[in-house]
Amino acid sequence: MATPGRTARPRVAVVKFASCDGCQLTILDLENQLLEIVTRFDIVEFPEATSRRSPGPYDIVFVEGSISAPEHIDAIKELRKQARILVTIGACATAGGIQAMRNWADHDAYRAAIYEHPEWIESLATATPVADHVKVDAELRGCPIDGGQLAELLTSVLVGRRPQIRDEAVCRECKRKGIVCLVVAAGEACMGPITTSGCNALCPTYGRGCYACFGPRAGANAKSWSAGLLKSGRPPEEVWRLFAGFTAYAEPFRSTITELGKKG
Amino acid sequence: MITSPALSPTAAARQWFLARGDLGALIEAIRETGRRIIGPTIREGAIVYDEVQTAADLPAGWRDEQSAGRYRLERGPDDRVFGYTVGPTPWKRFTFPPNLTIATAHRANAFGFEQPVPDVPPVAFLGVRACEIAALAIQDRVFLGGQFTDEDFRARRSAAFIVAVQCTTSSSTCFCTSMETGPEVRGGYDILLTEIDGGFVVQAGSPGGAAIVAKLPTRRPSHAEAGAAVDNVEAVRTQMGAPLPMAGIGERLKLQLDHPRWAQVADRCVECGNCTMSCPTCFCTSVAEKSDLDGRTSSTERQWDSCFDVAFAKVAGGDFRARPRDRYRQWLTHKFGTWWDQFGTSGCVGCGRCITWCPVRIDVREELAAIAPPIPPVIRPVAVEPVAASPGTYSIARLASIRPETEDTTTLSLTDVDPAFLSGRPGQFVMIALPAFPAVPISISRFRANAIDLTIRAVGATSTALGNLHPGAKVGLRGPLGTFWPIEEAYGRHAVVVAGGVGLSPLHGLVDALVANHDRFESVSLFYGSRTPEDQLFRDDLAAWSASKAIDVAVTVDRAGPEWKGRVGVVTTLFDKISWDCAKVTAFVVGPERMMQASVQGLISKGVPADRICVSMERHMECGIGLCGHCQMAGRFVCKDGPVFRLDELGDMFNREGI
Repeated sequence: MATPGRTARPRVAVVKFASCDGCQLTILDLENQLLEIVTRFDIVEFPEATSRRSPGPYDIVFVEGSISAPEHIDAIKELRKQARILVTIGACATAGGIQAMRNWADHDAYRAAIYEHPEWIESLATATPVADHVKVDAELRGCPIDGGQLAELLTSVLVGRRPQIRDEAVCRECKRKGIVCLVVAAGEACMGPITTSGCNALCPTYGRGCYACFGPRAGANAKSWSAGLLKSGRPPEEVWRLFAGFTAYAEPFRSTITELGKKG
Repeated sequence: MITSPALSPTAAARQWFLARGDLGALIEAIRETGRRIIGPTIREGAIVYDEVQTAADLPAGWRDEQSAGRYRLERGPDDRVFGYTVGPTPWKRFTFPPNLTIATAHRANAFGFEQPVPDVPPVAFLGVRACEIAALAIQDRVFLGGQFTDEDFRARRSAAFIVAVQCTTSSSTCFCTSMETGPEVRGGYDILLTEIDGGFVVQAGSPGGAAIVAKLPTRRPSHAEAGAAVDNVEAVRTQMGAPLPMAGIGERLKLQLDHPRWAQVADRCVECGNCTMSCPTCFCTSVAEKSDLDGRTSSTERQWDSCFDVAFAKVAGGDFRARPRDRYRQWLTHKFGTWWDQFGTSGCVGCGRCITWCPVRIDVREELAAIAPPIPPVIRPVAVEPVAASPGTYSIARLASIRPETEDTTTLSLTDVDPAFLSGRPGQFVMIALPAFPAVPISISRFRANAIDLTIRAVGATSTALGNLHPGAKVGLRGPLGTFWPIEEAYGRHAVVVAGGVGLSPLHGLVDALVANHDRFESVSLFYGSRTPEDQLFRDDLAAWSASKAIDVAVTVDRAGPEWKGRVGVVTTLFDKISWDCAKVTAFVVGPERMMQASVQGLISKGVPADRICVSMERHMECGIGLCGHCQMAGRFVCKDGPVFRLDELGDMFNREGI
C-alpha cells in the first residue's frame, strides 16, 4: 500500500466532518514527536496542516467529526473503501459530539432560530458517530483526544500489535495520581466513575469534576450513577446536563438522557 | 518478611514525654539521619500523606469527618496534631507505587530485557496507624511471604522507618476492632507516639528508633500522662462500639456464592474501583508496554489495577467474570475469605477507606451482614457425653428384640445399653459394629425406658448382618453422636415433620417428643411419603399417631395397587394441606437428598423461613467424630457438626451438586 518508489512508509490521511478541528490540532501538538512521526509515516492528506492533497488508498485514515450533513454519508463510505485502517478521533467522530444534542430536538426549529436563510443550510436531522455508518477499526476518545493515546496508536501500527488503550474509570487515574476524590471530599458532581480514562484525570487534577468528554466506559453503570446524583439532591435538569455533554449520544448516556428528559 | 530489629522488652516498654512544641525536634532528628519524611499534610480538603519538611506542615487542630461516600475536614476541639483517623491514600503508595517501570527492553543493537535495580532513598513514614501497620504486614505476606517475591517492594519497605501514632479518635467508617488490628498499635514500628494533652508519650520499637528518641528533648512522663495515653486509646475502642461478628466470615461467604444480594449490590456499584485503589492491602496490577515508534526500545509499566476492571479476567475466548456481580463477589470473597487460604490472614484491616471513598456509599459491613450473616449457634452441642467415642472402643449392648418393618428394613431394640444412650436426643446416631464387620452410623429411631431402637435397612455387609441377628446377640455401640433436633425452637409454632421413606427413622424419636409435648406447639403434623404402601416404616405407630389428636398425619405413596385407598403422589403434594401462617412453621425434613431438596423448596415457596427448616444430612461416615474426613461437606463434618443442620447453616451448599 505504500507509495511506490519511496520507503514503505504508511500513507496517512487526516480528514474531518462536523467538528472543531481540535483533535487534528492535537496531532500537530505532538511537537517533540512530530519529526519522528513524519519520518515514519507519509502524511498525504491533512487539510488542517497542508494544502497538499492526495487521493487514496490510504493505510490509515484518521476521521474527526460527526456525520451531520447529507454529503457526509457518501464521503465516509468512500473513505472506508480507501482506508486499510480507519480510526475515529474525538468525541464527535466516536459519539456524535456536542452537536448530537440536536438528536433530541427539533432540527428545523434550531436551523430557523440560528440562520437567516435556513433553506440554504443542508444538514441532517441528526449528528451521528462514524461507527453508525461504516466499520471503525479503532477509536480515540476525548474532546480533544489525548496525545499520548494517539502516539500509542501510531506506535502499535508500526510495531504491529494492538494499541494498549485501557477502558477503565477516570477514578483509577485519580487514585494513581493521588488526587483526592472530588465527589467524596467536596461533594462535586463528577462523571469520572462511569467515564473511560485516557485524559490522565485532567479535570479532577485541577479541582473540577469530570464532564465525560471521553464518553462512557464499557459496562458503565449510568443507572446507578444518575440515581446517586439525583439522590444527593441535585435537580434532574442538572443531572441531565451532566450526561448531555460531548458524548451524550453514546449509550448508556443516550438512554439516561432520554429517561431524565422524561422526568424533567 | 520485614521485621524491625528486636529491642529488649524493657527498652520497648520505656516511655518518654515529648511536648507538642518539640515535635519539630523529632522531624529534625529523623531528617538528620538522611531520611525524607512522609506524613500527614492538608491538600485538596483532605489529610494526604506527603512530604513533610517541618512540624508546621502537619494538620494540627484538624479532624476528619468520615461516613459512607463522604469525607470532610473540620477544625477540631483541640490542637492535636494527629486528631484525624486515616487519609484517603494508603501508605502502600510509597511501598508499592501506583506506577512503576518493572523492565526495559531493546532490540536496536543488542537484544535484551533489563530489570531496573530499585534505588530507594531512606524514608520515614510519620503517623502510621495500627490498621495501617497491619496492612503493611499483610502486603509483606503477599509480596515477600511466598516462594516468589517482589524485590521492589522489599527495597521500599526496608527503606521505611515507621513512626506509628496511636488513634485517639475514630470515624464512623472505622472497624479495626472487628478485624482485630487495633485500635492499639501492636508492634511493627520504630517509634510510637500517643498524643495526650500538651504532647506525646513516646516509645521506641527498634534500636534505630531508640537512637532517635535519645536525641529528643524528652522527660519521663508523669503517672497521669502515662495513664492518659492508655485511656485515650481505650476510649477509641469504646467509641467504635461492639465489634462486628467476623468469626468464620470466610467460611460464611463461601456458603453464599449464589446469594441474591450479589446482584443487588452490583446494581448499585459503579465499578470505579475506588475501594480497591484506596484499600491498603489490595495488590492487583496490570502492565503496559511503552515503546518508541518503532518498538526498538520499550519499557514495561506496571500500574495499580482493580479486579473491578471489565477486562481484568478476560482471555482471548471470553471473560471469566463477565457480570458486575461476579466482580463484586470476587472482591468481597477474596478480601474477607479466600485471602485467608492464600496468605493466612484476612485481606481487610478495618480502616474503612473502601466505605468512605465509595461514591455510591456501599458499606462492606452492611454487605457482609446481609450476604453472610453470622450463623447463630442454634444447634446445641451434644447433650450427653458419648461413651466409647474413640474408634475401636465399644460399649456392649444386647439385642432384646428384632422386628421387620419392610422387606429390607428391620428395627433392633437394644437393651443393657450404657445410660448415655438412653439420654441421647432425637436426631442423634450411634456407630454400631459387630466383630469382623465395620462400624456403620445408624440413627436412634426411638428412646425407650431401658432400650434404644435402631431401624436398619440392609444395604451393606454390616446392616445385613445386623438384620439377621437373633435376640440375645451382642453388638458394639459408640455414641450417642452428632447434633439433634432443636425441638425447643418450635415451641409456640407449627411443628411440621416431613419424612421420605426410611427418613422417618431419624424423625421417629422427634415425633414421639412432639406428641408427648404437643400442648407446647401451635400444632404438630407429619407428612410422610414412601415409594409404595409396603415401604412404609412403623405402620403400627403411624396408625396410633393418626388416631391421636396430638398430631395430624398425612401419608402418601408414589405408587400403589388398587387395594391402597390413600393418597398417591410425592410428599410435596401433601403441602396443599398446609393452611397455617407459614412464617410460624418450624419444619424438620429427612429423606433421600432429592426429596429433601424438593420439600425444602416447597416449604420455602409456601413462606416457611429458611432458618426455621432443619434437615438431617447423610454422608459416608467411618469414625463419627470428625477425624476420618469422609463426611466433609463444605467446611463441616456431617458427623460432628450435623447430621442435623439448620438450613441457613448450609447456605447454598444444600442444593449444590457434588459437595
